[in-house]
Order: sequence, then structure tokens, then C-alpha cells
Amino acid sequence: MARFILKRIGLGIVLLWLVVTVVFLALHAVPGDPAAILLTSEGSGGVTPEALEKVRQQLGLDQPVLVQYRDYLLGLLQGDLGTSFRNTSSTVASYIGARLPNTLELVFAAALIAVVVGVPLGALAARRGGWIDTVISTLTTLGISMPVYVIGTFFVLIFALQLGWFPAGGFTEFSSDPIEHLRKLLLPAVALSFGITSVVARMTRSAVLETVAQDWVRTAKSQGLPRNTVFSRHVLRNSLNPVVTTLGLEIGSLLGSTVLVERVFTWPGMGSLLVDSVNARDYPIVQGVVIVIAALFILINIAVDVLYGVLDPRARH
Amino acid sequence: MGYRSGLKKWLVAAVIAPVMILSGCSGSGDSGSLDAGSGELNTTLRIALSADVADLKPSRDQGAAAMMLDTLIHRGLLGYDGNGDVVPALAESYDVNETNTEFTFHLREGLKFQDGSDLTSENVKKTLEFLASSDSGAKIFATMSDLDSVETPDAQTAVVKLKNPNVAFPAYLADTTAAILPEEAFSAEGTAWSGAGPFILEETNPGVSFTLKKNPDFYDAANVNFEDITITIYADGQARLNALLAGDADLMDFVPWESFSQVESNSDLVLDGQSGPWMYLHFNVSNGSPLANEKVRQAIALAVNRENVATSAFSGQATVTAGAPIAEGSEFYNAELANGWSQNVEKAKQLMAEAGYADGFDAVLLSSSQYAFHQDTALSVQPDLEAIGIRTTLDSPDWATRQQKAAEGQYDIAVAGSAGVVNDPSFLVNFVTGPAANNRSYGFDDPELNQLLAAGLTAAPGADRVAAYDAVQARIIETVPFASLVARTQAFAYTNKLTGFSNIPGFLTFESGYTLVGAKLAA
Repeated sequence: MARFILKRIGLGIVLLWLVVTVVFLALHAVPGDPAAILLTSEGSGGVTPEALEKVRQQLGLDQPVLVQYRDYLLGLLQGDLGTSFRNTSSTVASYIGARLPNTLELVFAAALIAVVVGVPLGALAARRGGWIDTVISTLTTLGISMPVYVIGTFFVLIFALQLGWFPAGGFTEFSSDPIEHLRKLLLPAVALSFGITSVVARMTRSAVLETVAQDWVRTAKSQGLPRNTVFSRHVLRNSLNPVVTTLGLEIGSLLGSTVLVERVFTWPGMGSLLVDSVNARDYPIVQGVVIVIAALFILINIAVDVLYGVLDPRARH
Repeated sequence: MGYRSGLKKWLVAAVIAPVMILSGCSGSGDSGSLDAGSGELNTTLRIALSADVADLKPSRDQGAAAMMLDTLIHRGLLGYDGNGDVVPALAESYDVNETNTEFTFHLREGLKFQDGSDLTSENVKKTLEFLASSDSGAKIFATMSDLDSVETPDAQTAVVKLKNPNVAFPAYLADTTAAILPEEAFSAEGTAWSGAGPFILEETNPGVSFTLKKNPDFYDAANVNFEDITITIYADGQARLNALLAGDADLMDFVPWESFSQVESNSDLVLDGQSGPWMYLHFNVSNGSPLANEKVRQAIALAVNRENVATSAFSGQATVTAGAPIAEGSEFYNAELANGWSQNVEKAKQLMAEAGYADGFDAVLLSSSQYAFHQDTALSVQPDLEAIGIRTTLDSPDWATRQQKAAEGQYDIAVAGSAGVVNDPSFLVNFVTGPAANNRSYGFDDPELNQLLAAGLTAAPGADRVAAYDAVQARIIETVPFASLVARTQAFAYTNKLTGFSNIPGFLTFESGYTLVGAKLAA
């Protein structure tokens, strides 16, 4: 088993190195001079070649790409993700350290809403059928098909501008004002949860309908167990396995959906950091963000592989 | 049944209660207030800003958002008032010699930087010399490169000598990037987060917000009515406007053009727009290119429908500019020359034929998809160019790529948007001469135009200068170093409780943060 785990970790490290290399080379291959972006804005231009050269030297961009690549890898081996081009007094790690928790908080809040709302909705649709099923199925179809930025904008319009219940966007540190932090979290989290809630509800409905058709359910009912007990203690519980699996996969994809919600609600997460950094050609931050996200996925995959290996020894081979 | 009913109630309560509690909690950022005699004033101003400023670097042009921070944290020798007139700042006065080559600045007494150190004429000397160094990346380098020397006879006096006369020199020193900074700002890794302005940076949350507090040592602190300013970054225009509409902000910059009417229809808000940066086409005039022929460039300038650009790219919130971009209110505005390129498609076709391109030619039209108004401008002029036989292929990469392609001449015709450093027409030099750059025609050089621009800097104020810049404008109409399209309206929006703030006209719109000294926010 130890050999199996080591093999998976080794494979993960090779994969991470490949990601680092591809991202590094891709960034240096695309046009767009980071020095020129730092020295000019949309409404200006015309900087001297000497100024451009000086900034390139300060950023290390005057070195051959292979030298830059070597230095970057050596830094990575020491746990150094580098410093931002735009803010040379801030490390990439500090940027990611500030943004990653915000994104994870948004994603897990959305996932929590999906479980709290999606599972009961799916169970209700399966159990009641009829018009309730039709309404819930229609709502979940809408939830899956509506783009998250449309939902977000709609929420801002209704709950912030019309009703004035919540802020239109922004961010407050939890440590400085917990209530304000949660007020600003709620709308983006609910907007982000629409898609995943719908998927969870539909998956729950399908799983419950499948479970209800099992022979043992009929047996339980025929033995006189109350219908509610059969449903809540046996049917629903036995239906949750595929729901949990789907939820896990959806949480991964939510990480990629946050960028639009972050834009609409001005929530400072990894998505907006990545987009801004690509636009500014801030190579170290782009590389750092991609590496951290890739490492997270690789770690999750290793954990799943190891778990499969534990559950089914055949998978180790 | 009773159990289910009870459970349902609990579930509903569990979901609704936190929402009600959260929505009921006041999110207002309002803080302290003071009684200023005529009524309660709010001492905290909340600004919704259009972009983050990752790091403030001395002297660089880092865009509109950085300029807002600059005007709050820094001060130069001179500044601007709400009308765009140059006014004293750190220098309480200055003298000029007859030839406009020597400027003597008299500093105020007791000036201090925000770190508590004294601000003297030595700091002025260091700052101006940095601005004049070719590798500084200074926004006003083109002007400062004429610096001959800075003498400091005493701690309160700085004598600035130029190699050539420059009537407009004070206007350049009033720009935010000419702020006087402590010496450490000019080191290799130096930043400009400290200065001698009305506010001190207290806290920054990268990409999220800045918190500023009043600088008690500011020379005009008595006129500063805000104890704190919180700046929140809302990169999306609609999100920024939403923050203002929802009462989360008191002032926003860069109002999206399509939202002007929404702000105007709200009686609680003020829309403060001014004709600002201008959009234009520039050309690759390398040898062998059809665009090297000035008749082709004249044809393009005459072919474009500028009203269409204003409508399609700026929701009508732009002013047609059919000559050199000099605002109508300026003393240098010449109605005839300002309309020298009024649309005349037949004449444009005739010029194409005279240039030997009666059948037209293929060209790459460079724009950028990152700014919708740049791309819409390109889409608007494309059929106009087609009408005179110029068949364009649109190249619309992201902004970084666009800038590189423009600087390297990888285009035939490019859409650009820009602003002069000052409203004085001397700014035109940045758009017609100098090394290859992203904002001017690649390979263009007109010695005669350069001489005319130099003459404009030496001409005596009044009729002589007006005549000098008439000649500059006439030469621009003839040689078309760029083809102006429109001047876009740049607007701030703010609550009607805010008074004293004003959008400075013309290219100085981005310097409007200066007017927050003296501004008041009613509680």
C-alpha cells in the first residue's frame, strides 16, 4: 500500500512539473510586454526605450527564457512562488493567501446551500410527483440553464437596489465585521449555488425514484413501518450516495465558475485575481494561481486514487 | 402530522431567520460626523474606484485610478483648481524670467512629508531630476527632458532652469505625477505610498480597498473636511454604479456611457461629465506602405463618420473631433481648423485616386477586445474605410497584445484612445514625434511640424501663441499624423450630498481628485 501511495505522489509531482512548465512557456510565448503595461495606461503611451529596459531588468525579463525558467523552478523548490510584477513588495504567496480563502468560502457556502435546499427539493419532487414535481423540475431546469452572471445581476437589482436588503457588492473582512462580511457573502453565494442546487435536486429526485422502486422498500412498507419513517430513514439515506459523489464533482467545477460571480459582486477571489493578472501580464501571479489550483486538483485526485486503492485492492494495479 | 408541521416551521425559520437578521443589519459605512456650523457633515467619504492600484510608483502614468490616489496622497509644487487653472500647491508662488527658461519656486513654510520629515528645496531638486531621467518612465518626461538644472539657494527656494523656453511648464508641474516625493521613493524598489498630500494611506487590502486618513500636517489641512476616505475597487462599471445606487458609495469614477441617463434620472445623484480623452486612428507609415502617402491618410480622415462612432461606441456621449483635439472653450480653438476633416467621402475617393489607390488596398485594423469602446470604434469606422476602397481585417487582441503590436508597427491602421498630459496644446508633441510607441503613428516624423510645435512653446502668451498653434493645427490637418474621431465624455457620479467636488474639464478630468480638498459631504 505504501508503494502504491508513493507511486501516486510521484506521479502527482511529475504532473505538477508539467503544469508549471507548460504555463511558464505559454505565458512567455504570448505577446504583450509586462514592462509596457506597467508604464502605460489605456489613456496614455509613449515611454522611452530606456525606461522599458530598466523595468525589464528589474523584473528579470532581460534574461533568456531558460534562465528565467531555471530560476523560477529553483524558487519553487524552496517554496518561493516569486513576487508580483505589479507590486514588487508583495509575494505571490501573500496574494494567493489573501484570495484563496475567499474563493473557498464562496464555493463552500454555495455547496452548503445546495445541500440544504437541493436535497429536500429533490426528495419532495420524487415523493409528491404531480404538479409539485413539474414545478420543481422546471425550476431546476432554469437554475441549470441560467448563466450565473444573469442571476447575480438580477439579485443585485432586486435585493440591493430595489429592496435595499443587502449591499450591491464588495467585501469586508470577517475579522473586522462578521455581520457585514456575511451580508456581502450571501447574495454571491446564493447566485453561485443556483446551478449546483439544481443538479443536486435533480440527482436526488432520480436517486429517490430509483430507490423507491426497490423490493426492500415494498417489504418495509408491507411490514407496517410508517411511510415517513421508510422514506426518511431508509429511502433518502440510501439515495444520497450518488448525490454526494455528484456534489464532490460539482464543487470542483464551481471553482471555475466563481470568476463571473466575483466580477458581478466585486468579491476578491482567485478568479478575478487570475483574470486581472493575465490582462496585466503579471506572470508570477498567473503561474502561482494556476499552480495552486493544479496542486489542489492533483491532491484531490491522489486522495481519491488512494481511497479507491483502500476500498478495492485491484485498483492498486 | 404535528411532528412534520413543527419540523417544517423550524426549517423555514432556520433559513429565513439568518437572512432577515443579515438584511436587517445596517451595512452603512457612515462613520463620524461633525457640525460645521451650517449643518451636520459626514467626515467619511466612500469612493467606488474603477481599478486597483497594485503599487504606486513615482512619476509613472498608471491610469485614472492611480491618479485619484495620487491627488489624495501627494502634492506637487503646483496643482489645479476645479476650472483647470494652475494654482499654487507646495509652492506658494513662483517667478518666471522673460524668456520662460527660468522658474523660481518659493515653498511654503513648515512643509512636511507624511512620515514627519521636512520637505525642502532639496526634495524638489531630487524629484525634478528624477522626472528628467530617461529611464524613470515619467509621464512628463518629454517636457522634463529639457531640464538644465535645479538650484537650491535655500531650503525654501528652488530655481529651475530649462534648456529651451516653455510657456506651458507650470501646467506640466501641476500634473499629479510631478508630486514632490521623499528621496527613498526614487530608489530601485521605491514606491510612492507616502507624500505631502491631504491624506495618508492607513490601510490597503490588495485588489479590494484603500483606507486613507486626514494628514494633519498638510499645508491646507484646515480646508480638508474628511477625516477618512475609503476607496473600494469595483472593476465592473455596472457594479460600481450599483454601489452608488445602493448607497454603498458616495462618489464613483468612470460612469459607463450607457448609464448616463440612469444617473441623470435619479434625483439623489449628480452626473458630472466633461469632454475628456479623445479617440483617433494612427497609422503605420513605414516605407512602402500605402499609408506613407499623406493623401491616403487625408482620405481616411475625410472618410470616417464620426457621429456613428459617437453613437455606436459611446452611446452618443462623445463630441465629434474633426481636427487636432483642442477643446472648444480653449483660446487655441480654431473653428475652421477644428473641422478640417469634416466627412467628405467624394473628396476622400478623389484623394485615394490621386495617391494611386483608386482600387483601394487591404489593411489590418488594430483595436482591442479588452475595451468594448475601442472595438466598437473599429467596427464603426470599418465600413467607412471600405467605402473608399480600404478593405480592413480587424485584429482585436487583448490590451497587452494591442500595445505591443502598436509599438512594434504590426498593424496598418490602429484605433487608440488617449489624453494629453495638459490641456495646453503643447501636449500634441507626444502624439507626433519621439521613438516608436503604442500611441502614435509608426514611422511618422515631420520635421516641419516638430519645428512648429517648438515655436509654440517659445511664443509669447496671447496672440502669438494662438497664431503658433493655428500653424500647428493646419500642419496636422495636412499631414495627418493621426485622424481624430471623437472626444469621449468622462463622467463622475456622486450623491447630491457631496458639494465642492468637480470634474476638471478636458484632459484634466483624471486630476479631479484635487477638488476633494474643500469638498463637503452632508450627513
